[in-house]
Amino acid sequence: MFFTAITTVAITLFIVGFFLIVIYDIQGILTSIKSQVEVAVYLKDNITDELKTYLENEIKGWDEVAEITFVSKEQALEKFRKENEGSEILKEIQGNPLPASFELELKSPEKVEQIALRFLDKDGNFIEGVDEVIYGQNYVQKLFQITAITGSIAFLIIIMLLLATVVLIFNTIRLSIHARRKEIEVMKLVGATNWFVRIPFIFEGFFEGFIGSIISVILLYFMANYLLIRGEKAIVDTMHIKELAILGSNNVIIYIYAGLIILGGLIGIFSSSFALKRYIRV
Amino acid sequence: MIEFRNVTKIYADKTSALKNINLTIKKGEFVFIVGPSGSGKSTLIKLLTREIPVTNGAIYVAGRNICNLKTSRVPQLRRNIGSVFQDFKLLPNKTVFENIAFALEVIGRPSYVIKLQVPQVLKLVGLEHKMNSYPHQISAGEQQRVSIARAFVNRPPILLADEPTGNLDPVTSEGIMKLLSRINLIGTTVAMATHDKNIVNSMRRRVVELEEGELIRDQKRGVYGI
Repeated sequence: MFFTAITTVAITLFIVGFFLIVIYDIQGILTSIKSQVEVAVYLKDNITDELKTYLENEIKGWDEVAEITFVSKEQALEKFRKENEGSEILKEIQGNPLPASFELELKSPEKVEQIALRFLDKDGNFIEGVDEVIYGQNYVQKLFQITAITGSIAFLIIIMLLLATVVLIFNTIRLSIHARRKEIEVMKLVGATNWFVRIPFIFEGFFEGFIGSIISVILLYFMANYLLIRGEKAIVDTMHIKELAILGSNNVIIYIYAGLIILGGLIGIFSSSFALKRYIRV
Repeated sequence: MIEFRNVTKIYADKTSALKNINLTIKKGEFVFIVGPSGSGKSTLIKLLTREIPVTNGAIYVAGRNICNLKTSRVPQLRRNIGSVFQDFKLLPNKTVFENIAFALEVIGRPSYVIKLQVPQVLKLVGLEHKMNSYPHQISAGEQQRVSIARAFVNRPPILLADEPTGNLDPVTSEGIMKLLSRINLIGTTVAMATHDKNIVNSMRRRVVELEEGELIRDQKRGVYGI
């Protein structure tokens, strides 16, 4: 019975932990993507230096903008060449067709649309000197929706999993107590005090929860380090995310591990205390 | 030693198990509680160990009303009352010695006391040679002796037996009765619920008869039926 309970705790908490890590991970990736939402303001080739400087100063004054970088025509071409190295397309390019631009990094990515609108005049045309403004309109809106939805779904899943875990562990411990009900009955009949009966079971429940959760954390540790981080690297590479504030560089996973161990111990103690109530009343 | 004053017990499902029972059992007495199944014998015994609460009336054990005993004091009461059951209630995964020792361990007796008292009580019940056997390795009569040894190892002043011979053949039952008589002779008050006519008739002890929860007969040196 002891091992059944430990296995149950280990497996259920592993699943809870797995979901916590994966969901936290996904949220982290989405946040990194969000923080990289940029507005690219392409300038007309014939823009005067005065107008360029004027625009640059104007944009710098906006609170929502974290950083503004000027990319000249030459830099743009250089960047383009690097990104398409070895490609046929480079041979086709004559002169420099690429425009100069301002790249804006935002403090609050949610305001990207408002900022983009500032480059339009009353009639809906781009203001003088600006050729085009690009910020991935649909993509950005969808991304924000997805983050919000996955967040609430994740929350629900974790709550359900936790409930299932508590019920499952409680039942397992109750079964192990049920298997020893005769012993409890005899103890009570020869005059053992309630606490004398209770304490060994509570200790047992605690150890079952504690050891089970430690096993789950060990499994999670290996899973996170050998599978998740590789998966993440793949995501980072394919999606061109600059930085990922996740597993390797973050303490959150430690908190998840600690939380699982504390949870395991507590569930063990409470399950055995509650399950005992029925048998102790002789 | 034991006194029932106007004791009534009605179970939660409204079945009335005991009706207005008045009964006094003196120290050192041996009392048979007889009556058909469902007459209230077991209820009477369960009330004494506070396994179930009374509905009305008062029960005094050694001068104390046990009906208003705090839950935390119930273990103390049970340490002064040995209980023997029809189904022995031995733990199958413990040896004879361990089963008896268990009763002392759970009330916090030190191990040197256990090592001293368990062999003594095993000698009293005649099973010192079986102390390392498991319950399934010994006969039903021997198992009941072990359960009596367990009930008596703490030398309680009162011993309650609920149909202790219910699962035993007449010869084995006779041996159990001799054992209970011996325990009674040492000064222990013994109350035994039974519907075994032969035993009651051969012992010629006090007989209390219950019928449908009412006390209908209380006779010194009685027989099972009139």
